[in-house]
Amino acid sequence: MSDTIVAMSTAIGDASIHIIRISGPMATRIIEECFKPRNKERWLRGESFTLNRGVFYDQTKALDEVLVGRMLAPSSYTGEDVYEVNCHGGLFVAQRILKAILSHGAQLAEPGEFSKRAFLNGKLDLVQAEAIIDLISSRTETSANLALSQLSGGLSEKITSLRDGILEILAFIEAGIDFPEDEVDSLDRETLESLINKVLAETKLLLEGSKTGKVLRDGLNTVIVGQPNVGKSSLLNALLHEERAIVTDIPGTTRDEIRESVSVGGILLQLVDTAGICESDDLVERLGIERTWKALKTADLVLLVVQANLSLSEVERHILDCYSEKVVVLVNKIDILSKGQLDIPMNEKGFWIPFSVLQLQGFDELEKEIRKRVYQGEGISTTDPLLSNVRHITSLERCDNALNQSLNSLQQGMPWDILSIDIRQALQYVSEITGHNVQESLLEDIFSRFCIGK
Amino acid sequence: MEYFAGKYDVIVVGAGHAGCEAALAAARLGCETLLITLHLDTIAHMPCNPSLGGPAKGHLVREIDALGGQMGIVADETSLQVKMLNTGKGPAVHALRIQSDKQAYHSRMRTILFSQPKLTIIQALVENLVVDKNSIVGVVTRTGARFESGSVVLTSGTYLRGRIIIGAAMHPGGPNGQMPAMSLSDSLREFGVELGRFKTGTPPRIHRQFVDYTKFRIQPGDNTPWRFSFMPTESQFWHKDLSKQVPCWLGYTGLQTHELIRTNLYRAPMYSGKIEGIGPRYCPSIEDKVVRFAQREAHQIFLEPEGWQSDELYVAGLSTSMPEEVQVQILKSIPGLENVRMLRPGYAIEYDYVLPHQLSLGLEVRQLSGLFTAGQLNGTSGYEEAAAQGLIAGINAALRSLGKGPFTLRRSDAYLGVLIDDLVTKGVKEPYRLLTSRAEYRLVLRQNNADLRLTEIGRSVGLVNDERWRRFHDKKKNYDHVKELLKTTVFSPMREDLQQVMSEAQSTPTRGGISAQDLIRRPEITISHLVKLIPELKDFEHEVLEEVETDTKYSGYIEKQWADIENFSKLENRMLPETLSYEEIRGLSTEGRQRLLEVRPLNLGQASRITGVSPADISVLLVFLEQRRRGGN
Ligand SMILES: Nc1nc2c(ncn2[C@@H]2O[C@H](COP(=O)(O)OP(=O)(O)OP(=O)(O)O)[C@@H](O)[C@H]2O)c(=O)[nH]1
Ligand SMILES: [Mg+2]
Repeated sequence: MSDTIVAMSTAIGDASIHIIRISGPMATRIIEECFKPRNKERWLRGESFTLNRGVFYDQTKALDEVLVGRMLAPSSYTGEDVYEVNCHGGLFVAQRILKAILSHGAQLAEPGEFSKRAFLNGKLDLVQAEAIIDLISSRTETSANLALSQLSGGLSEKITSLRDGILEILAFIEAGIDFPEDEVDSLDRETLESLINKVLAETKLLLEGSKTGKVLRDGLNTVIVGQPNVGKSSLLNALLHEERAIVTDIPGTTRDEIRESVSVGGILLQLVDTAGICESDDLVERLGIERTWKALKTADLVLLVVQANLSLSEVERHILDCYSEKVVVLVNKIDILSKGQLDIPMNEKGFWIPFSVLQLQGFDELEKEIRKRVYQGEGISTTDPLLSNVRHITSLERCDNALNQSLNSLQQGMPWDILSIDIRQALQYVSEITGHNVQESLLEDIFSRFCIGK
Repeated sequence: MEYFAGKYDVIVVGAGHAGCEAALAAARLGCETLLITLHLDTIAHMPCNPSLGGPAKGHLVREIDALGGQMGIVADETSLQVKMLNTGKGPAVHALRIQSDKQAYHSRMRTILFSQPKLTIIQALVENLVVDKNSIVGVVTRTGARFESGSVVLTSGTYLRGRIIIGAAMHPGGPNGQMPAMSLSDSLREFGVELGRFKTGTPPRIHRQFVDYTKFRIQPGDNTPWRFSFMPTESQFWHKDLSKQVPCWLGYTGLQTHELIRTNLYRAPMYSGKIEGIGPRYCPSIEDKVVRFAQREAHQIFLEPEGWQSDELYVAGLSTSMPEEVQVQILKSIPGLENVRMLRPGYAIEYDYVLPHQLSLGLEVRQLSGLFTAGQLNGTSGYEEAAAQGLIAGINAALRSLGKGPFTLRRSDAYLGVLIDDLVTKGVKEPYRLLTSRAEYRLVLRQNNADLRLTEIGRSVGLVNDERWRRFHDKKKNYDHVKELLKTTVFSPMREDLQQVMSEAQSTPTRGGISAQDLIRRPEITISHLVKLIPELKDFEHEVLEEVETDTKYSGYIEKQWADIENFSKLENRMLPETLSYEEIRGLSTEGRQRLLEVRPLNLGQASRITGVSPADISVLLVFLEQRRRGGN
């Protein structure tokens, strides 16, 4: 109950406003670390039930202009210090704010937890208790174990291997401590250091590859390609809601790449508008096209724009063949076709969407497809398995912190019993994902690894 | 013919390590106490290793001592050698282990029991419990004597339906040729106590004159007169002369031994299916080790003296239930034991134990109030684990007879708390051994600060005598004094002795002044360096200096652990009424409900540690308790 909890409330209206609610003894401290109010003087007065405008930071990085509502104990909803962060930057920004709060030590709230606290603190009347109990017990039997089995095979393998690595380290330390005169191979400090570094490399890889983690942090590298004059720049402008790129009916208008970021369906796209691809004698254009090929290689998502009334050119086919996994084909200008003329080829690679930038057709479908690929999809371009669950990512980050702390203590010359504290902590965090009991698995590992028994 | 043989405040059945502590505690708390033992000559007997302590176990002995128990004092007085283990692994896991003279331990404990006021000791075999409406009212012996009491502590060790197995030979029996207690199990079952079956084993004993010691490596005691007890104690054998300590000897089995075991494996009861009980993983037989770690070319064997005068050596590491003649061959195959004389064969013993989830944290059987159980009977192994439970059960039996509420310790108070909470909350799947890795607050629960942690608690219970209390106060005063001294002493960087000490320790010189407290936080600086700089420190005993050193050096981690403990206490302080009808609480998961009914936890913290009780169940309980509180208003 002394935990500070945080959760994203349901999106409001058109989902452009999100509210992140945080409650508990650390709430004030965390908000003070992350939020820079516009009107500092007013904020410092610390009044309850005030709405404060300012900027929300993750470390040194500004995330969004936000409104922070402050409701202090005991008169808040939960009876604890409560803050509500209203942000406008879409799901992407809201999730980053949530993660920043988690990394400052808050816990993700369980279903019904705000209400539970409210009830325990006398803020709700007896009649509501039943409803709260229903809410709590509706928390499906989502044992962490189940969660692990829901992860893709490759991912659960990696996390299991990470856990095994940490378990091995702990088993060596603990067996040495609890069975000092048994046949336990001892571990020296250099070996320990290299073992910790080994598992740290694994957590690093997992964290870097964590799907929402990576996407939320860096956005999706998205390249718009196609033949000249198919409407690439028009698409960019439409997504940005501004006339960023020059649009003309002359083929070859765009000569240099144009880079912009935009949030689509809560996902940040790092957009690159490219020069149209075709054989050309124009040297400048040629250079531009070379750059396009390069961009394609590193892209997470390729928006291949083709023109509805033209059949696929050789270049387009080539792109489709090379990058089919990450290509979405936008069949643009369907507005110029007469009814029934649209002919989307069956059995083609890539995902095809009939599209019209001019008449704003196909955008919803595009958004849906992007979200699908980020949140459930096979992963956009990387073949590495990706973590996507905020809870898992948080556990993994904490595991990573604990391992770094142990490394730190090791370098400071701390003895084994102290080192074991951080390593056990790390094991605890990764076990939150795998659902293992730390104590039991530790003993099991010790007894199967070492010949104990004097 | 049954007859009335007397009425007591507390009756303790069994005089092993649990029974002795229980009886002494009850009598010392002012209760007329009866101790019934199967045999007066096996009081406080050590049927296994002639040693006490080691990681976690040594911690327990110190805790028993701090609370006013007996084991530490007797162990010190009868020690043959002392050794501090894990000295290089950090302050929390230093662990004292001593070799003890078995015979002397027995007679010393027996003398103390017989001279204890309010304690009566008799030899008898208890066969039946007398129960009235779910409460114990007495016990009946085989000869018909009915002793009456509302507080009975059962500490019958491995005697319940004990069965000895050596190869194909099998017979009912207790440890070491004793007779078993065959009917008490039935009596327990009759009153609804659920029993399980475990097995454990012991190695053969050999004659010390038929050993070629050149083939073994000597294992001498330490050069420091370590003690378990916080009271001034001294070995009756080597007194203050450390050179007189008796050594142990380290040798190895060889490929020949392993071959022998493999060819005879079909005769091992473990593999022929003769043993049903579950044995401990941390104490496998040699046949087990050879099978499970087939790639190992040698296993360690420690020869440990059974006594100062005794000709017997205990062959640690060679626990076995192979047929007798195979045991002799196995021994002969060990380099240095070619001419061995086996004095007693190793054996496996199977016995009934009480499934400990039926107990409260005060070790009372929940469905039979007034009946307490302790020791191996509760599914543990080890003398120290037994004594620790005996102490708690004895205290609680006495408190019950005095009409007072139970005494319990938490996981954050002591290893004793970890031990009992583990037993009661999680149950046991194999004979339970305490390990330091089972304690989540290990850094705070050090053997060195057992007195600082527990003497005050022991005093309020009533077991800490004035002498111990005075010594504790002196130590605490000294501790505070030294701590203050380190905080207030600031060295100028110009001091020559400081510079010398720093360069000796290869510590980077400071520019400005530095306090003694900050200095000792440096990993390379120890308290002995400080003693050179602050002469006043020489006046304090080493234990005090070491405590301050640990608390200062690792203060970051220690403070964090205290914060964890504070958090832990929040759920621990939420009591659950014993009569709570979990059947009627809406929203509990099916498994959670069932486990709560089985264990009937004392508080929400304990509830949260039960396997099968989910965090959602705990939330439901929280809301339910609040609902009930308000409904009651
Ligand atoms: N009818 C119709 N015209 C469109 C649509 N999208 C773009 N256009 C027109 O197509 C022409 C070319 O558009 P751009 O966006 O400049 O094309 P581009 O692919 O960027 O061309 P380059 O930069 O030259 O490679 C413009 O005249 C646009 O108005 C559409 O959906 N329907
Ligand atoms: Mg263009």
